[in-house]
Amino acid sequence: MTHRIFVVIAIVLFGIVFGSVATSYTEQHSLRPLAEGYVKLVPQKLGAPNVITGILLTYRAFDTLGEVAVLFMVGAGVVLVLSAGRRPRAAAHSPEDPRPSSEIVQTGAQVLSPLVAIFAAYIIMNGHLSAGGGFQGGAVIASCVLLVLLAYPQYQLNIEFLSITESVAGALFVLAGIAGLILAGGFLDNRILPLGQFGAFFSAGAIPVLSILLGVKVGCELSVILDGFRPEPVGQKDKV
Amino acid sequence: MMEMIGSILVLLGAVFHFSAGLGMLRMPDAYTRMQAGTKASTLGNTLVLAGLAFYHPSWSLKLLIIVYFVLMTNPISSHALARAAYSIRIPLAGNTGIDALRDEQQDLRSET
Repeated sequence: MTHRIFVVIAIVLFGIVFGSVATSYTEQHSLRPLAEGYVKLVPQKLGAPNVITGILLTYRAFDTLGEVAVLFMVGAGVVLVLSAGRRPRAAAHSPEDPRPSSEIVQTGAQVLSPLVAIFAAYIIMNGHLSAGGGFQGGAVIASCVLLVLLAYPQYQLNIEFLSITESVAGALFVLAGIAGLILAGGFLDNRILPLGQFGAFFSAGAIPVLSILLGVKVGCELSVILDGFRPEPVGQKDKV
Repeated sequence: MMEMIGSILVLLGAVFHFSAGLGMLRMPDAYTRMQAGTKASTLGNTLVLAGLAFYHPSWSLKLLIIVYFVLMTNPISSHALARAAYSIRIPLAGNTGIDALRDEQQDLRSET
């Protein structure tokens, strides 16, 4: 009985909190000064129709670099923790090979993974024009990798290649930032390349290039994390 | 007129989605629930997107691609889920008559 009273009290309190939020909400009809500044500045100065990508890859590009670094550390941590825990277990159990996936799943992965990859490239390349960008496209790349890993459990990702690609992309990202410091207004300024025609596919200076680098980097990082979650391949040492 | 047809298609799709939800609640075991969810929601999605195509004819190609994607992914994913459920021996409903996968596996075993 007391339990039920507490539940009722909790529901009433939640109702008061959310109700006050809902009743006090008023729709804003004008932008705040900061947002207004960005909305005017990004199309004018950066030549990017998508304001958010303009902010993420130029005005707040340093934060984006930090986010990528955080993602890198997450990947390294996940792989470290998972690989530390799984070796002894695999040795103790000696389980059978992972069950092969059915023919339907394999065929589906063969048909779908190119489509997913094309979609990822579309998201990355249109980041400065419409919703999308490097992070989102990189996540779609990783989902393509996940599809392949699900359909072919024996498939070995080339981790070294992924790590090197990721490092090169990160280094090029920083180099582009330094080029902005020398040639244009500051670190990661997109005006190191010509702005081009507003709204065209090749426009907005270095933003598409930075998007591609970011997409490659995020895709590789997430793929390495996904690979870390797989069980240790059994009998791999004997086969190779 | 176009908007009327589009609205009817979207409503029809919503009916199928509703039946998918109903099937999830009312079906006796994991496999029948899965098939209710898959079949009805695939058709529901297709109908809703077809209705949208009547509203915005210029979106038709993109909507067609989405329909293709849904038609590809939805059955495959639920097939994989059902197979995984079978392989960890989630029980069938009591009144299931035919277990084709078990029969096939027995045939395979008796051949080898």
